[in-house]
Amino acid sequence: MILILVFISPIFGVLLADMVGYHEPLDVVAEALNLPDLTELINWTPLLDYTIPGLPAEAGYAVAGLVGILIILGIGFLLSKIVGRT
Amino acid sequence: MHIPDGFLDPVVIILTYVLLVIYGVFAFKRIKRTLNTENTPLVSVLSASIFAAQMLNWPIPGGTSLHFVGGALAGVMLGPWLGFLTMFIVLIVQCLVFHDGGITALGANSLNMAIIDVLVGYAIYRLTVKTFKSKDPPRMLAAFLGGWLGITIAGIACGLEIGYSQAFPYGVSITVPIMAGWHAVLGIIEGTITALTVAYLRKRAPHIIFAER
Repeated sequence: MILILVFISPIFGVLLADMVGYHEPLDVVAEALNLPDLTELINWTPLLDYTIPGLPAEAGYAVAGLVGILIILGIGFLLSKIVGRT
Repeated sequence: MHIPDGFLDPVVIILTYVLLVIYGVFAFKRIKRTLNTENTPLVSVLSASIFAAQMLNWPIPGGTSLHFVGGALAGVMLGPWLGFLTMFIVLIVQCLVFHDGGITALGANSLNMAIIDVLVGYAIYRLTVKTFKSKDPPRMLAAFLGGWLGITIAGIACGLEIGYSQAFPYGVSITVPIMAGWHAVLGIIEGTITALTVAYLRKRAPHIIFAER
């Protein structure tokens, strides 16, 4: 189920988003008000906005989703180990 | 609803971080008592599912979007403390790994989606179920109301946070009604997904729904 969501996510996060000129709602507001975009100025991750350097946007979005899920499941695994010990 | 860096004033940043730390310390004591080998995988799988569901941005013509947030669902399924942990794992991974939501706004984003949305969703579900005391239709209504009101009140909190920040040229008299109105409309989808998910789980695995206990 989670894998299905990840593999169809580029349809929503990239393809449909491009079709309607989608931005994050608060980013739209920031652009309209000429607020500085600090996200790119103080960025610390190569995976900004669910992209993978070197991969096309669609594949990058799905791979980024997998990376996120693996990290979350990894946190869950660590929690299980800690709980199992106590 | 993820507030990026640059939107919040230092006072709002500090205040929301302080609230997160106070709530987090309180929640941690409860989580330590309740987390066990049975519910830890639930926290982990629900976090991963909500993370994946949040990647499904439904673009709305005009240049904006909506996506399922999941705080109320986490509250109904796992209760206020493990629900908080579930949502906080999602938010911290989104922020640190993908810079989705600013580091300066992590306190505010956690307050909105991991605390308010979870607590409101849980409380409304419990209250509605106790009020009606009968079976399926009221429970679907309870989950719908939890999801809808959870996201609407979280939207109001978001409006207060950006409205009280000087970086944002509009005050709370504008930001709060706009965020409340917008999230009240989008919340219908949030409530519907929450209701359908809870209805499914009540049929397949009713014992895992914390708010039923």
